[in-house]
Amino acid sequence: MKKAVTVFLVTLLAMTMIVAKGQQESATDLSAPVTIVVWTHDDPNRSVLEKELIAEFTKQNPNVTVDYQTYPSGKMAELLTVAFSAGEGPDVFNQSQSVIRQFVVEGQVSALDPAWLGYRSLSDITSRYIEGSLEAVSLDGDIYGMPLEYTNLCCYLNKRLFREAGLDPEKDYPKTWEEMMDISSKLVKYDGEIIVSRGFDFRYATYYLMEMLPMVEQLGGKLVSDDGKTAVIGDEAWLKFFNYMKEWGPNGRNLGGPTYVSVSKVFDLNDGQVAMSESGLYQESRMRSANPSFYESDDWMVIPYPQWKDSDLRVPCHVSCHYYMVNGNVSMAKQIWGWRLVNFMLSHSEEYLKRVNLVQPTHELFESETFKNMPYSDVFKTDLEHATLTYYSANSSAILEKMKQAVEAVMLQNQDPESVLKNFRRQVQSILDEE
Amino acid sequence: MKKHNSFSIEGQKARWGWFFVAPAILFFCLFSLYPMLNALWNTFFNVKLLSLKKPEFVGLKNYAYVLSSPDFWSSVKATVIFTLSSFIPLTVFSLVFGLIITTRKKGHQLLQMLIYSPAVLSSVVAALIWLLLFDPRGIANSLVNFLMRTPGIDHKWLTEPAKLYMATAMIYFWKYIGYFTIIVATGVAKIPTSVLEAATIDGASVRQTIGRIIMPLLRPTTMMVSIVAMLNCMKSFSTQYLFTQRGAPNAPLNVLTLNIYKTAMRDRYISRACVMSFILFFFMMILTIVRMKTSESKE
Amino acid sequence: MLRDKSFSNRMSNLVINILVAIFLCVILMPILFMFTASFMKSSEIFSMPYRWIPKEFYVKNYFNAVTDYGRNLTFVRTIVNSLIVASATTVLSVIVSAFAGYGLSKFKFRGQQVVFLMIMGRMMIPFEAIMIPMYIIAVRLHLQNTYTGLVLPFVLNTFGIFQMRQYLLSFPDEVLDAGRIDGLGEFGIFSKLVFKNSTPAIATAAILCFRGQWDNLLWPLLLSQKEMMKTIPAYLVKFTEEKYADEGAMMAVAVMASIPIIILFLTLSKYFLGGSAMYSSSKE
Repeated sequence: MKKAVTVFLVTLLAMTMIVAKGQQESATDLSAPVTIVVWTHDDPNRSVLEKELIAEFTKQNPNVTVDYQTYPSGKMAELLTVAFSAGEGPDVFNQSQSVIRQFVVEGQVSALDPAWLGYRSLSDITSRYIEGSLEAVSLDGDIYGMPLEYTNLCCYLNKRLFREAGLDPEKDYPKTWEEMMDISSKLVKYDGEIIVSRGFDFRYATYYLMEMLPMVEQLGGKLVSDDGKTAVIGDEAWLKFFNYMKEWGPNGRNLGGPTYVSVSKVFDLNDGQVAMSESGLYQESRMRSANPSFYESDDWMVIPYPQWKDSDLRVPCHVSCHYYMVNGNVSMAKQIWGWRLVNFMLSHSEEYLKRVNLVQPTHELFESETFKNMPYSDVFKTDLEHATLTYYSANSSAILEKMKQAVEAVMLQNQDPESVLKNFRRQVQSILDEE
Repeated sequence: MKKHNSFSIEGQKARWGWFFVAPAILFFCLFSLYPMLNALWNTFFNVKLLSLKKPEFVGLKNYAYVLSSPDFWSSVKATVIFTLSSFIPLTVFSLVFGLIITTRKKGHQLLQMLIYSPAVLSSVVAALIWLLLFDPRGIANSLVNFLMRTPGIDHKWLTEPAKLYMATAMIYFWKYIGYFTIIVATGVAKIPTSVLEAATIDGASVRQTIGRIIMPLLRPTTMMVSIVAMLNCMKSFSTQYLFTQRGAPNAPLNVLTLNIYKTAMRDRYISRACVMSFILFFFMMILTIVRMKTSESKE
Repeated sequence: MLRDKSFSNRMSNLVINILVAIFLCVILMPILFMFTASFMKSSEIFSMPYRWIPKEFYVKNYFNAVTDYGRNLTFVRTIVNSLIVASATTVLSVIVSAFAGYGLSKFKFRGQQVVFLMIMGRMMIPFEAIMIPMYIIAVRLHLQNTYTGLVLPFVLNTFGIFQMRQYLLSFPDEVLDAGRIDGLGEFGIFSKLVFKNSTPAIATAAILCFRGQWDNLLWPLLLSQKEMMKTIPAYLVKFTEEKYADEGAMMAVAVMASIPIIILFLTLSKYFLGGSAMYSSSKE
């Protein structure tokens, strides 16, 4: 009896919702002229492609005009935050999983209704994507965004510099973090104690949770417990990581650090400044445009993300995913056209891959010839199969900052790893407790 | 009768005073007073950016939180150290150089322009130049190693806290010394030459002239230079911001403005950011009043 | 005795000249570095010791800077925008500051002290603190992507007001009274006597205001969403990002971004320095 009532009530509720939705849609005039404002981070090659796609889209739908605007990627998150707070957010925008989560949780973005795109059910859309890639934009069974790029980092290696140091890149390439340090100290060159040329170096900046946290997790440590309540689990793992970073920095074996020039760009120049750098598949297109002769040569290769010698937990570099989302506070017509635009652009995934080396996590793309024909794409794919999304939560950018400060404290300010760990735990815990 | 007349002139003058001040007041209300009051209001609520929840009244909780947070106090420390280490040299050297360049008869104009030139560059440009100079392979290391005959030493300008204080203060000094020197020089130029001539005829030495005549006459200028330099240092933001962007450790650079900015924009705690702004504002206000009172009582 | 004095004078002169020369070197070195580095490949910038003369003049940095690596000419538009915004703000703020400085220094009225303290108080509030309420006002007034929106919040230049007031406090009252006796109205006195004779203070305030606007990063970034309405600092910051990370091009952008303001400084500074000289001699 009780069950029957519940079923009845639920059906009733569902029906009123469907009716409401239908009314809403019939009230929405999709043929009226509409302007969609798109904000995206500055990526010159991608904006050329997207402007072409938008031109095609507006040709097909003459009542739609699109105002496509780009922003420096470092400033984008705060601009979005301020704009949304003033009720003036763009209609369509993209950001990485760590930033967009707050928009999802705070209900600022539009949930996708499959009917808008001509699909029967949501699973017709979600089944396009590989498992786990929509996690950061899912909430209570709804989908709030579509992935634009799905990136993990593997290690680019300059074979010429290996050979010059008397190493055989094919055989001697570092498989473990221990080897990474030893080989780097063979490759590094100094003037006095000033580094002139580095072996490997980390990306630092905003890459701590993506590039360094897996090192802790390979040892069984965790940033946040599975229930999301307790911060910084596994002292031994964290201490080993902190000690490694201390060894790496200027007060240890002096192999590099965050104040040196960023490695990923310098690697492409092939001028002896750095032998190894971690980057995504997109680096290949950057290399091709920055230094075509190096790209064509056989002097570079890509190796998997290293593991600790004694760790059984296979944790490759985390994945950073960028999503396109639609503002949930604008008119229904704008939301529908926004989603249609996003869907139209992103359905050209092979173009994105071919022209700007951005990988969308679709089954179709991973099976495509275009993907398979890219140099070393198999290395990236193998790592990807074991990879998970970089930590995200409504407060992940604050936590990222704390991890950055902790690494800086051991590495640059030469502080004691144990006290740094204690302090780090206290800070992350207080951030978790705020929620 | 006479009294009444002067009163009406006073009244008319007062009206004209208001007339001249009116545009400033209008802009002040719209783009300063209102945002400030809004910010003050926020300190008593738990306003979080992006949140759809209605802000709740929390009384003084935000103040209690900020005042008991170690992060805040380390910012206070960073701000105080930075302010002292850049504003004192700025005030002292601008006085010295201001006096010196007014004594140079030849190339006076050219000299002023050259000294002023760093102040023309934008602070983003200045920070970018100095970041390259302080790079481990940059000129700062080479120069110090050359002068101290210590080849190959990395002085860790961007990583050691003490060096970071020096580096950021150096940028500030470099950028603003010319500007303040010119202010002092303008102040010196305002001293009537007849006064100086009279002093020379009376047989006063250079030191006496400077100490007994120029310095007292320069007091308003000195006061202005020191207040403005101090307030500017306390508000410094872009240098520290760009340094942390380039990988320098956050702790020694986390001055209050940077902390406010991060608390508001990254952590989205508007209320806490507003509390810190008001504490900063309060201290700046007190310092200004103290400075004004002391210099007024001496005159 | 007399000879002695001139000798010691000459010695101290020499010492002072040497000090001035060292001081100048320190001041000018970073600027010289910026110019030379803008003609170098990034790897050469970090060669030790630094070569003050580039091996080959790598002009491509400038090409990359202006055309964003051969992609577009947004740079030109951002320079024009910066010029428009900075000039408009300067003109308006100089007028408002001169008005207010005059009103606060040469008139007595009730509440004057309060007005002065309030305006000085504004000087102590960091912009970051009031940015968000300010943005909401601008949005309500529909000022996004407009020059008006970029200009209006900075018309109140508290430092300019402070400077004008300090300057006018020592402006001789007799001149004003003479003007009154000659039958000039209060506004006439201001425009004919005060404004015209305040060139040094006005030029200083103008240069400062212009420089401040040329430098302004956060507000234009927030308010100008359209590519075509952005100003130069946003373009500059782009070159610090990891994917650009090209120190040579970065210095080239820095040079290009500085050239307009340097030119303006050179032309304005004649009034600035000349004006102060004129004032000090006229006072005798």
